[in-house]
Amino acid sequence: MRKNISLILGIIFVFIITAVWVLSFVYMPYNPNEMNISNRFLKPDFDSKHIFGTDNFGRDILSRIMYGSRNVLLVALVSVSLGTLIGILLGALAAMLKGLAETIIMRIMDGLMAFPGILLAMMLVAVLERGIQGSIAAISIFMVPIFSRLVYSMILDTENLLYIKAAKSYGSSKGQIFFRHYIPAMLPRLITQFSSSIGSAVMIETSLSFLGLGIQPPFASWGLMLSESRQFFLLHPYLAVAPGIAIIITVLGFNLMGDGLNDILINRGSNDE
Amino acid sequence: MLSYILDRLKSSIVVLFVVSIITFFVLMIIPGNPAQLILGTDATPEAIAELHAAMGLDRPLYQQYLSWLLELFKLDMGKSYVYGESVTVLIARSIPVTFSISIFAMVMAVFVAFLFGMLSAIKKNSITDYFSRSIMQLGAAIPSFWIGMVLIVYFGVKYKILPVSGFIPIEQSFTGFMRSIFLPSLVLAIGEVGTLLRIVRSSMLNSLKQDYMDMAKVKGLNAGKIYIKYALRGALTAPLTIIGMQLAKLAGGTVVVETIFALPGLGRLVLTAVEHRDIVLLQGLVMFITSIVVIITLIVDIFVMFLNPRIKSFHQGE
Repeated sequence: MRKNISLILGIIFVFIITAVWVLSFVYMPYNPNEMNISNRFLKPDFDSKHIFGTDNFGRDILSRIMYGSRNVLLVALVSVSLGTLIGILLGALAAMLKGLAETIIMRIMDGLMAFPGILLAMMLVAVLERGIQGSIAAISIFMVPIFSRLVYSMILDTENLLYIKAAKSYGSSKGQIFFRHYIPAMLPRLITQFSSSIGSAVMIETSLSFLGLGIQPPFASWGLMLSESRQFFLLHPYLAVAPGIAIIITVLGFNLMGDGLNDILINRGSNDE
Repeated sequence: MLSYILDRLKSSIVVLFVVSIITFFVLMIIPGNPAQLILGTDATPEAIAELHAAMGLDRPLYQQYLSWLLELFKLDMGKSYVYGESVTVLIARSIPVTFSISIFAMVMAVFVAFLFGMLSAIKKNSITDYFSRSIMQLGAAIPSFWIGMVLIVYFGVKYKILPVSGFIPIEQSFTGFMRSIFLPSLVLAIGEVGTLLRIVRSSMLNSLKQDYMDMAKVKGLNAGKIYIKYALRGALTAPLTIIGMQLAKLAGGTVVVETIFALPGLGRLVLTAVEHRDIVLLQGLVMFITSIVVIITLIVDIFVMFLNPRIKSFHQGE
């Protein structure tokens, strides 16, 4: 079989980010919120005490990147997991109950899908508190229609297959059919979608933070770090390098992993998609 | 065929109705009294209560919803309290900015995506193919605010080639207009090109496998003609649908770019409305943007139906 470059690269990037995340609980070079005005705007220097330099308050950028990884990954993992669970539940209910439940659920999903880009997330942030919980709630709701539509269409595709009909005919309940037959059949696509969705959740979280609607200062978040660096960026462009690369590696990692998994689990080695 | 159009029209109206319910009721649970927000903290309770009643906020929710919907049909979306102006006027003023950068961005994205998508499908696993697939991945992973900041520094500040903020209307000066929208459009295009390239490539690969391609080759047509006239034509449906979806997405997804480049478009209005919890403005904006999305999707679906006779005949058969 051809080597799956996407999967390998994806796993490497995801591993790097996860390692940074785990390490942030064990060791960070400095307190990420500790200000030290005499050390402002130190340029990145691998021989110095501040490898990635310091920001406008003299805070260590490496420590802030490490601390920021916690917020980004927490928001992304929790919101995509919630969105996946609720999405699977609603999609399955619509496809298996049919009738009025199907109409109501799927029309609401159509409605949610009509909100473009981060508009839905922004609208929800207006209602909720800004911060970690607000971002999680907003991104979860953003993910629900994606997963419910996927599950809905997959169940409709499978429900007329012989083994499902057989299970129905010997009296399996809807719950049994769902857990024993539908879930295993849907798992490859759900795993693939989950991985790519983490990538988009990271993108939405950093965009919200960048716009000042996500995690609030003084806490570190990559989007917020970029937004704070804007006014000093012209004189100190290095300020934007580390958070930018952190975001790119994370999103690229989960997207590549999703694509790679798609190749081995669904398309079986074809790179046509 | 007509039944297909009517069908799609019907479901579009249902979607808009659902959106109006979601928008209205979600935004109604915003904490805080709008009358209090407008009058500020020094207002007397009596004044607040008076404005509250004048705004109709003491009526039951469903009545408020119905009258809001009715006003919406008359294109009256109420008055923004941040700007003190009619929401309709504010939106109308912002449309040229957002639409200009969105359309120009899509023109750039379509050009690059079709060029590289076709080349990479024709020469699969070549250097061009690997290059295209790298664009696909990187385009989706680079945050627009980051690339925007980088472009501002290089084009705007270091070499001073292009303006870094503000919008010049096309009536005022065409070159000024193009210069003011170039960088924001480029940033948007980078964000969209990856998805489109992916679809062009996979549709093209699929189209190249079809029997009519062998037929065309057997007939001895020249390569250019084969690829453009046969392969590309067979591969248009999916990319067109995606272009429609992307245009629709950009109608409401340009917030970040408009913020970086200080452009007075729809995205800036959304951000202001969210920051100040200007419910009336946000309701109007969300309804307007989702309507645009639904209309673009509808037009693209009908257009695709004309291109793809299979959809047409499938619905005629019903």
